[in-house]
Amino acid sequence: MAFVLFLSVFLIAASGLIYELIAGALASYLLGDSVLQFSTIIGAYLFAMGIGSYLSRFIERALIARFISIELMVGLLGGFSSTILFLAFTWTTSFRLLLYGLVLAIGILVGLEIPLLMRILRERFQLKDLVANVLTFDYLGALGASLLFPLLLVPHLGLVRSAMLFGLINALVALWSTFLFRDQLPRAMAQRIGSIAVIALLTAGMFFGQQITDTADAALYSDDVVLTRTTPYQRIALTRWKDDYRLYLNGHLQFSSRDEYRYHESLVHPAMASRPGARRALVLGGGDGLAVRELLKYPGLESITLVDLDPEMTRLFKTHPLLRGLNKDALSSPKLRIVNADAFPWLQASRDLYDVAFVDFPDPNNYSLGKLYSSAFYRLLSRSLTEGGLAVVQSTSPMFARQSYWCIVETLKAAGLKTYPYHAYVPSFGEWGFVLATRTDWSPGGQLPEGLRFITTAQMHALFEFPPDLAPVPAEVNRLNDQVLVRYYDREWREIVR
Amino acid sequence: MKLTRRQVAPALIGLTLKADQPLKGGFALEAQDRGHQIRDRAATPATKRTIRIPAVIVGGGISGLSAAWWFRRARFTDFVLLEMESETGGNARAGENEITPFPWAAHYLPLPANDSIYVRLLCEEFGLLKDGVWDERWLCHSPQERLFLHGRWQEGIEPHIGLTKEDAAQFDRFFSRVAELRHSGAFTLPMDPGLRRSKPAHLALDRLTLSGWMRKEGLYSPYLRWLVDYSTRDDYATGADAVSAWAGLHYFAARDSEEHGPLTWPEGNAWIARRLTQTVSSHIRTGAMVSRVERTGSFWRVHAGDTLYETDYVIWAAPTWLARWTVSPPPRALPMESAPWLVANLTMSRWPAEKGLPPAWDNVIYGSPALGYVVATHQSLKTHIPRTVWTYYWAMSQGAALDQRRILLGGDWRYWCERIFADLQRAHPDIRSCVERIDIFRIGHAMPRPAPGFLTHPDRLALLKPSNNLAFANTDLSGLSLFEEAQYRGVEAARAALSTLGR
Ligand SMILES: Cc1cc2nc3c(=O)[nH]c(=O)nc-3n(C[C@H](O)[C@H](O)[C@H](O)COP(=O)(O)OP(=O)(O)OC[C@H]3O[C@@H](n4cnc5c(N)ncnc54)[C@H](O)[C@@H]3O)c2cc1C
Repeated sequence: MAFVLFLSVFLIAASGLIYELIAGALASYLLGDSVLQFSTIIGAYLFAMGIGSYLSRFIERALIARFISIELMVGLLGGFSSTILFLAFTWTTSFRLLLYGLVLAIGILVGLEIPLLMRILRERFQLKDLVANVLTFDYLGALGASLLFPLLLVPHLGLVRSAMLFGLINALVALWSTFLFRDQLPRAMAQRIGSIAVIALLTAGMFFGQQITDTADAALYSDDVVLTRTTPYQRIALTRWKDDYRLYLNGHLQFSSRDEYRYHESLVHPAMASRPGARRALVLGGGDGLAVRELLKYPGLESITLVDLDPEMTRLFKTHPLLRGLNKDALSSPKLRIVNADAFPWLQASRDLYDVAFVDFPDPNNYSLGKLYSSAFYRLLSRSLTEGGLAVVQSTSPMFARQSYWCIVETLKAAGLKTYPYHAYVPSFGEWGFVLATRTDWSPGGQLPEGLRFITTAQMHALFEFPPDLAPVPAEVNRLNDQVLVRYYDREWREIVR
Repeated sequence: MKLTRRQVAPALIGLTLKADQPLKGGFALEAQDRGHQIRDRAATPATKRTIRIPAVIVGGGISGLSAAWWFRRARFTDFVLLEMESETGGNARAGENEITPFPWAAHYLPLPANDSIYVRLLCEEFGLLKDGVWDERWLCHSPQERLFLHGRWQEGIEPHIGLTKEDAAQFDRFFSRVAELRHSGAFTLPMDPGLRRSKPAHLALDRLTLSGWMRKEGLYSPYLRWLVDYSTRDDYATGADAVSAWAGLHYFAARDSEEHGPLTWPEGNAWIARRLTQTVSSHIRTGAMVSRVERTGSFWRVHAGDTLYETDYVIWAAPTWLARWTVSPPPRALPMESAPWLVANLTMSRWPAEKGLPPAWDNVIYGSPALGYVVATHQSLKTHIPRTVWTYYWAMSQGAALDQRRILLGGDWRYWCERIFADLQRAHPDIRSCVERIDIFRIGHAMPRPAPGFLTHPDRLALLKPSNNLAFANTDLSGLSLFEEAQYRGVEAARAALSTLGR
């Protein structure tokens, strides 16, 4: 009997500490600044326990019944504490209020437990033994909990289910007390039913706990992360929000499924429409297959070569049902040849000629990518075009990175190409720039395929008009040995972000 | 197995030396033994063949190859080039692994000024210079240089962080003095045309050390002193305290700003050496160590292994100090110490974690006894380069060359790996876990030290003049160990030979 009683002390002490740790961990996880969160929560919690101890004096009668009710309340409140806090953080604005309210409430209840228990046990033990034993088990429980929490609970159960597990323990202590003290309980049966109800509730919570965190987590990151891959080359992440899918490479947005057609139609159609006889096309970068999807609208094309560094990228966009849907299975086209290679050396070694080439690399935000925007690269590009062949280069935003954009134009010129700059509005990107480059004279026009959503013959000419705020600014040529573009780009985007 | 305390103590606290990637490597291209064979006059094999040939070039470094290149341009084909190693190139040789080629010593060529007629000719022949435009593929890509100073990387090698106003003013003063010297036209590459234009005041610079000159000029900024000392160690393996002020200032005054240069390749100057070799390959005999060169009557007898060449003209393009041991009658001694170098190629399984500036081509650590490292993959056209090779340079410039050579040859491979790690760790705390292999080239006699007085030393001037149908052509004669000098010495020797032979 004595041992069982002290075991209860041990257990309720442990769960008391667990709630405190959970509140601290959650607060620092969600609000940051862990030192501040932990100290204020421990302070508030201890203070609340003090209040609880003080309040215990007002409980005069039916100590055991009160003790059982308090256990059940702690079990419920503590057990669902992290669930409540998670959901509150995601869906309400009063997270802090709720956090400290909950900490105070649990603290007060926990503060009531030990004084009550001591009074219940008073008749059975000598005071000196009682105090010694209760406090010993109280502190032991605290030690157990503080070790269990970081080593087992958080990694294996997570915050939501750890709280529920300890809620269950409180409820079990209550249930078992109804048996232990049955002679002194006038309404043991009612108490027992109450305990069982709480236990049932928490057990159900344990089962659905994962789902609760998932929903909260997903809501936390505004968009659902549908898929992530870390390849030797980059981190690929696909997110979804309602019906909008977004692809990020190394954290940079590549497209949003809501408006990517604007981008890819602009990239492909001005050049393609003007070259009805084009037979061989080259796509550099663009492993998502979206540019290829647009190219496949021209039945006259006989072959498309797609060069993308990352095999995982082309594999994903060829096999993943969702992504195949986005590119309309373009990567499975029999006309397509996929080459997974680093574009610059590949182009240098290549001797093939293309009627059209689409250059769709990530923005030049470092010296490695900057090489793909150098005059040396564009000279190779020019060399791989047929007489009258066209190249189109995605060229960052003439709005946000105006000098960068015109630097790309200058660099293409330095490689001996005539340039035809144009731009289009893509809501998720902003005003976006392209440059069409060729060794011959060129003007927009020709037959567009059916079913385009953005480019029309009438509006195509307008893309080539630059309003004054996008008009040319002086820029140097980007050379391998003097990569001015990376410096322009870095400066211009930093100004935007600031 | 008995454990030593050194192994146990760290193990106890869980600090076992990282053993998941045992370091591989060793010494590479060792040639000390062969050098000493010559010095010790080790028995040479009996002559099996005698070949009569009008001209023999000894040594297939840049100078010897350039002599041959000039012969070929002059359509003169009656010569051989004898190289003791299995490969030509000398200090412009390269290695290669599964990641990239990498240099074993010389790795770049500054863009030639208009005085460098032969260099420009060569660059045109090899397609580096087309219609007055340099091929950007072979110009050093961005970013070119960075310096680790006060705990972070800054752009460029000239220190910028932490300079006082006075420091900055001293840099300005120094560079305006350099600009005056440049405009005088007395400092050129190759050095000969400039020397012809020199005034006594210019030549007087050879009578004091660079540090002495700085003191006289009131230039004492520690950052400036570091920069000039770094530069002379880098080019001449001699610190500013010991180098001739003329040579030290030549480094700065002979070059225009290198905004668009230099020329460089993953394999370094081996790119040029190999192309030069191709143009004259039928004349080259590798594995042919010349052990004796004797004047007999009106011709020279050149012994190389079991072959004896009887020739009218010898171009000695091997290190000049070697001629004292091989040529008879012995020429004068080159009046310069020859300094040792250590070059290490570090094969990196990953790049160290970096904050701030990305790796540049040339990466220098302020205050280091060594010279920093060059990234061999820097000229690669790839965007994704997960592994790389760093070429780490250390000119052993402190104290007497002889002592430094003993230190260089005395340390074992482990010792040098530790020294290299200790140095690189200042900038890259995680360097040990990035390196999978270190191959070390110990060059006992790498280059001459141009100390005060070298320029007008009578022995050097005497060696410069061909005599008895023997022309010295190695770079070390110049005192300035540079490609331009190597090529110039080689071509000039070839021209002297051609005019003597009447071709
Ligand atoms: C570590 C280091 C880095 C350098 N970096 C640069 C740089 O970046 N840029 C630059 O311009 N310069 C650099 N230099 C200077 C470089 O030495 C010269 O540019 C040039 O390569 C020297 O050529 P050389 O032909 O005069 O001499 P070496 O290259 O020394 O050639 C001599 C040749 O003679 C051969 N030989 C020797 N003895 C015999 C014999 N008995 N018989 C037959 N053959 C023999 C040798 O094997 C060797 O091939 C560097 C030098 C060193 C040591």
